[in-house]
Amino acid sequence: MTTDTVPTFVAGPAGPGAATTAGRRRRRLRPGRVALGAAAVVTILASVFPVYWMVRTALEPTRDLQAGSVTPWPRALTLDHFRTALAADGFWAFWRNSLFVTLGSVLVALVVAALAAFAVARLRWRGRGVFVLVVFAAQMAPWEALLIPMYIVVRDVGMLDRLVTLLVIYTVVTLPFTILTIRGFLDAIPVELEEAARVDGCSRATAFRRIVFPLLAPGLLSTSLFGFITAWNEFAFANTLLIKNQDSRTLPVWLSSFNNVFGTDWGATMAASTLFMLPVLLVFVVLQNRVTGGLTAGAVKG
Amino acid sequence: MGGAVSPASHDPLLPEGRSPRTAPTTGAGAGTPAPVRRTRANPWPYVLVAPAVVAIGLVLGYPVVRNVVMSFQDYGLRELIRGGASFVGLDNYAELLTDGTFWGVVVRTLAFTAIDVVLIMVLSTLVALMINALGRVLRFGVMAGLVVVWATPIIAATTIWQWLFQSERGVVNATLVALGLDRFDGYSWLAHGPAAFAMLVLLIVWQSVPFAALTLYAGLTTVPHELFEAARIDGASGFRLFRSVTFPILRPLFGLITSLEVIWVFKAFAQIWAVTQGGPDDATTTLPVYAYQVAQSLHRYGLSGAISVVTVVMLTLLLLVYFRQTLRQEGDR
Amino acid sequence: MRKLRTAGAAAATAAALALTVAACSSDEGSGDTGTSTQGATTIDVWLMRDSISDDFQKEFVAGFEKAHPDVTVDVQVQEWDGIGQKIISALASDDAPDVIEVGNTQVAQYGASGGLADLTDKVSDLGGSSWIPGLAEPGNIDGKQYGIPYYAANRVVLYNKDLFTKAGITTPPKTRDEWLKDTKALDTGGNQGIYLAGQNWYTYAGFLWDEGGDLATNDGDTWKGGLDTPAAAAAMDFYGTLQKLGKGPQDADEQHPPQIDVFATGKVAQMIATPGAATQVTAANAAMADKIGFFPIPGKTADQPGAVFTGGSDLVIPTAAAHPDQAYTFIKELTGDEWQKKLAVAMSYVPNKTTLAGVLADDPGAAAMAVGAANGHATPNSPNWAAVEANNPVKNYMTQVLTGADPAAAGTTASDAITKTLNASS
Repeated sequence: MTTDTVPTFVAGPAGPGAATTAGRRRRRLRPGRVALGAAAVVTILASVFPVYWMVRTALEPTRDLQAGSVTPWPRALTLDHFRTALAADGFWAFWRNSLFVTLGSVLVALVVAALAAFAVARLRWRGRGVFVLVVFAAQMAPWEALLIPMYIVVRDVGMLDRLVTLLVIYTVVTLPFTILTIRGFLDAIPVELEEAARVDGCSRATAFRRIVFPLLAPGLLSTSLFGFITAWNEFAFANTLLIKNQDSRTLPVWLSSFNNVFGTDWGATMAASTLFMLPVLLVFVVLQNRVTGGLTAGAVKG
Repeated sequence: MGGAVSPASHDPLLPEGRSPRTAPTTGAGAGTPAPVRRTRANPWPYVLVAPAVVAIGLVLGYPVVRNVVMSFQDYGLRELIRGGASFVGLDNYAELLTDGTFWGVVVRTLAFTAIDVVLIMVLSTLVALMINALGRVLRFGVMAGLVVVWATPIIAATTIWQWLFQSERGVVNATLVALGLDRFDGYSWLAHGPAAFAMLVLLIVWQSVPFAALTLYAGLTTVPHELFEAARIDGASGFRLFRSVTFPILRPLFGLITSLEVIWVFKAFAQIWAVTQGGPDDATTTLPVYAYQVAQSLHRYGLSGAISVVTVVMLTLLLLVYFRQTLRQEGDR
Repeated sequence: MRKLRTAGAAAATAAALALTVAACSSDEGSGDTGTSTQGATTIDVWLMRDSISDDFQKEFVAGFEKAHPDVTVDVQVQEWDGIGQKIISALASDDAPDVIEVGNTQVAQYGASGGLADLTDKVSDLGGSSWIPGLAEPGNIDGKQYGIPYYAANRVVLYNKDLFTKAGITTPPKTRDEWLKDTKALDTGGNQGIYLAGQNWYTYAGFLWDEGGDLATNDGDTWKGGLDTPAAAAAMDFYGTLQKLGKGPQDADEQHPPQIDVFATGKVAQMIATPGAATQVTAANAAMADKIGFFPIPGKTADQPGAVFTGGSDLVIPTAAAHPDQAYTFIKELTGDEWQKKLAVAMSYVPNKTTLAGVLADDPGAAAMAVGAANGHATPNSPNWAAVEANNPVKNYMTQVLTGADPAAAGTTASDAITKTLNASS
């Protein structure tokens, strides 16, 4: 599925000493530095250019877009395309649908996963090893290969064309990863911290609330980031399971058929894409900081 | 494995033990090590994992089983609508494995995965090393750029790609023509197999590099500085430094990322479906797309089930190495 | 023991009561159950995008609901993109729409799958003896009538009268040679001689029939794709020559982008579509209102018009429909003479009965269409043909050849794909 986007969970152990290496070295190799700088600029351009082009197209008046030549920046600016996109049939409904399945699946997955992760990280029980293996295997599950059986199963239970079906599927898609990540964060929080707090006179509950939870919170956030992006992005299941009821489509499915909606109006198509991307970018900007901050703060061992 | 004995430091009832002093069943008084306990009698772990187990079992496990069953059935449009599929043994598999089209798709999928993963890993490693060597400002710039790409939803990226590669007003053709390559004037990328394939490779690489590069960079920062210094004193530099110091230390991380990328590229569906639907002339039909086509256009759900099973088996074989490593690590815990 | 049994019976009665109550309340709540006689029944109807105009739809629904106060009609307009999958999904579910408009090349597939109600015993009630064969035959599988003829149309050339006048063309072309000559003259300045998308395969099929070829041929019980023939290459050669006299995309069909919008800009001299497209062009750009003319697709010689695909739609009732009786009433009304006449005039369609053909006498678009209809053809008559269209090798073949591939090689690939799909057991 759309698992391309995984938060910097592997950066968990990277916390200690993160800032200590690179910046401090001073090398005087001039040509080398220049080449490096050039490479950095090329990398930035290559990454950002498609996104820039989207925004640029979304802001340029149709008249200029249709003029034979292509210029690096817009010749004039307009918000018309955004107006067209916002006024498109059902745009707000699809937006709401996407938000519903996304937030819903993130919340459910967090709760279910936190319970399981706690059992795995802090408790010893028979079957724990098997459970972890199942979760590992589930994380690798090629969901795309299950489109058709899923379609048939969902149809058999009469759940086609319902948003809640997507919500459930997205929850389970993100669940294994969420369990493993939260368990990883729990593992990284030394039990000694809680014990030390308890030696200092805290109750166990207070120790958990004051010590464990603050350290765990960034982990929960970064995990929810993953869930958010997976669900917000998901196309294959939404495209297969919401067929009859066009009103319950989600944004990706709607956007993928932009030809039906906007025809050759690339300005509006790009404006719609921009609007679709915006929430993810916002979530990223907000959460990324907190996550990195949390990781640094979590580096109690160092 | 922890076995049946709970180490003192792990308290099975932490979240529930809101007021442990009044809850003697939890055993441990403040400051005293918990006594050794048999956990067999403790239902809490099972209660805690139950929702996850049920969810995974119903939503993942059941469709997997259903898929396997279906792959042994003659399951077509009539069966979908009226029900009553009959078992046909290995017919679907026999048909599949003797079909040239299928093997063409397999080879294409492997090639697509190999090309993408190699490009992703090489570029990500270079970018990670570069970030590590950059000064503060440029490092921030590069990382911000990568995060923007990472945050671009797949379907937004596919629409952007279709616009960039438009035959008439697309910026790619305009740029290539400006560079003197006149044959790209009005060139239709979606009409030529290799061009469409290359376009999708570019799309996937563009989307995948940020995760790999940022993760590798995070790994790089954990390599102790002293190791580099020592190696440098021994006269190592550049590529040798990477090969003899960085890579060995980060080998597990490289393994993990490569495996993840193999999975993601191998099963990539949304990008291909949204841009080419497997065309032109099947030039971009990979296994997941093929399974989808067989089911949704030919309505041969049984055959499609067989394709899915074969896909999963192939992917498992590809990743066996990584799985074994994970199992071993899990065993060590 | 006895006591127990009584208790059990009481419980069963209570359960039954509860069920009844539940049934009643849901009945009242939605007013949506078929058996209910009080309150209106709502039937779901799927019609295809652009098959009828909004105005006609409103007029018909209002008229129908007035005549049948116990039925409310909920029309949902469907996109052509992915419609096959959507219909199958609906047929396979337990809450299918009550009436579906299905393209005439697709009915066989659904009928063969057992998802459609058999309407054979209604044929005479609907006046089926005078249905036009191009719609009635595809709706009939193994002697059972599943599809009820709705409307037919075939393609003509729509032209921009202003641009023709400007280019000094006074009479529309009658032969291919004249057509190419005129189109070349029209393809000047900012104007396109013709907007012909590279994957307008129904148009190509017409050229192919002109050359004496076919999309696929059947000898006894096996099918064979027909794109590897010299006829196919010749047809493609003509298509390519024509296509290059405008800026139609080589790698897309006429819906991507909608050619109607392109034509509505007024900078395109001709496009190939059904005459009803004129209404939509006018809706997109009112200034085009009086500028649209029609002529039949020219043939190789002046004495025979170009071959055309007889397109159109049938109406079907899914076996899973909740309100089959009301659905039938709806179909009977819409395919009856009164509304068929109005529909034909409003949309420039060929009505579903040969006896109604006269109503189009005054319509220039319909007149052009009628000329072409004399040389009408159908797609291969197989339930599997829909599967061919779903992943259309013909479109792919066209794009390949237009962008420089060897027609013979591309034709063999496409033919093999058609052969394989048509001969697959379904």
